[in-house]
Amino acid sequence: MTSLQLKAEVEDFLYREARLADEFQLDEWEALLTDDFHYWVPAGRLEGDPSEQLAYLNDNRARVATRIRQLKTGKRLSQLPFSPMRRMISNIEVVDQGDDTISVKANFVIYEIAAQSTGELRIWPGQAQYRLRRVDGSLRMSSKWVELVTAELGQRNLTFLI
Amino acid sequence: MGINYGQLVRGDRIHASLLHDPEAFADEMERIFVNGWVFVGHESEIKEHGDWVTRQLGTESVIMVRESDDSVKVLANRCSHRGTALCWEQRGNNSFFQCTYHNWRFGLDGSVRAIPFPDGYDTPKEDLGLDAAKRLETHRGFVFVNLDGSAGPLADHLGAAGYELIDRLCDLSPTGEIDLSKGWIAHRVQSNWKLWPESDSDGYHVGFVHASMSETTDTYYDEVAVGGDAVRRSRAVDYGNGHIELDWRPSYQRQLAWLGITRDKVESYCEALTERDGTESAEQMLWDGPPHAFLFPNLFLGELVIAIVEPVGPGEMIHRHTSVQFEGVSEDFNRRLLRQTEAAVGPASFITSDDAITAERIQAGISGTQRSWADQDRGWIDLSRGLHREQIDETGARSSDASDETTNRGFWHRYLEIMTEQV
Repeated sequence: MTSLQLKAEVEDFLYREARLADEFQLDEWEALLTDDFHYWVPAGRLEGDPSEQLAYLNDNRARVATRIRQLKTGKRLSQLPFSPMRRMISNIEVVDQGDDTISVKANFVIYEIAAQSTGELRIWPGQAQYRLRRVDGSLRMSSKWVELVTAELGQRNLTFLI
Repeated sequence: MGINYGQLVRGDRIHASLLHDPEAFADEMERIFVNGWVFVGHESEIKEHGDWVTRQLGTESVIMVRESDDSVKVLANRCSHRGTALCWEQRGNNSFFQCTYHNWRFGLDGSVRAIPFPDGYDTPKEDLGLDAAKRLETHRGFVFVNLDGSAGPLADHLGAAGYELIDRLCDLSPTGEIDLSKGWIAHRVQSNWKLWPESDSDGYHVGFVHASMSETTDTYYDEVAVGGDAVRRSRAVDYGNGHIELDWRPSYQRQLAWLGITRDKVESYCEALTERDGTESAEQMLWDGPPHAFLFPNLFLGELVIAIVEPVGPGEMIHRHTSVQFEGVSEDFNRRLLRQTEAAVGPASFITSDDAITAERIQAGISGTQRSWADQDRGWIDLSRGLHREQIDETGARSSDASDETTNRGFWHRYLEIMTEQV
């Protein structure tokens, strides 16, 4: 596979992941995850050992499953209704390619309406770092680490899939 | 013409206008946050000389710093010359504070160390130091201040109950010491700050606001706050002075329920408590766990989470939390507390994110209410639940069923006392 082909495949994956998250297609999004998936949104930079820090979000595979189950109850007040949202992804770089893992960085901006309460437009800029792995021929995500530009300032509710 | 608080805070209801009125907010910032005792932080956050953290007390930014003689000082984050903020990050370590405007330099105790071209001043240097909290007292590392020095001793504010609640938490650490240095997470909420002492200590909403959580995971809240009368014996308690607790202890069905873990997983922890306090007392602690309590006006002892309620404006606040870490336990034990905190509290959590939305919906609901409506019998918030079945014990503490609004009334009762005090 040439690097251009790989780049195209990675981009397709990221765009699909973004759209599924934006549209709360929760089962489809969950199907993109490997069994050892790690989801992390620290309250600072993507530095240090995640297990030693207090983060906004630090989900192993079991906890992200719980997160999705909670969203699917229809009683998750902070996502009732689901936030109307769209994200832009750009500056996609394949930063490392091992035997089975591809490391990717991309910038994003999410535009979200807090439809559950105030109706304000919330803007979430940041960088996401993905580790992708080929499982049965197609790419899956074994980690998604998200560094918010506003990480140290505190956040409003962050109960969608970032 | 000030606000007539006595007309707006009644024994069984409060007027909704108090949750968004800018004049009430200004009064609160002065009378509650400047004239009274407030929680600032914990000594474990500033272990080394020169360690500092910034905090917001009401509308004032302050620096809590460890001085070279080991004492703790709380200083205004504001140069005494022209008012420039001295620290603009959340934490750091310095041997002095230097203003970036005219390079005035202050010691860790807030005194002036150096002023460029000093012959321009004939004011004594001692008069040019930083404003500092006039009274500061600590208990088990919890730092409290009274900014203007007009309040009595901390003991009068905390009362026996306030100390006991803090002790009950700290005693669960094998060394008796807790550590709050894992950093604070700010949850920004578009609501009045007073909705959070209420939400943090409201036992009535748990089965409704948090239904999505109890349907998704097994949690001890099902037995302590949601279950029927057969399992739920928890109490809502008002200790006076605005200090309130949801006392889950009578409902726990097993030891360590509050840790969500069984005893065999933390045998060495249990042994450490037994070794320190003897079997009987250790066994009881393993049943009881940490308190779920609110110390007026801004400290939430949320079991193994500590949170600060930070007012920002009449309709804007920050719920700032950190994870309790114990001294003398394994790394795995403390990591467990971190993961438990992330699940329970904060913007992406399974629990308090739904409280945040609820607070924002209340704010949306009450934002049009006016003080004058009190006379028209409109715009009231009902807090009467359980008034007829409260019990008062020998210490004067009131308690009732955990779903009753005894805690909410306790907060507002203290609020009224302060807002109507003759200064």
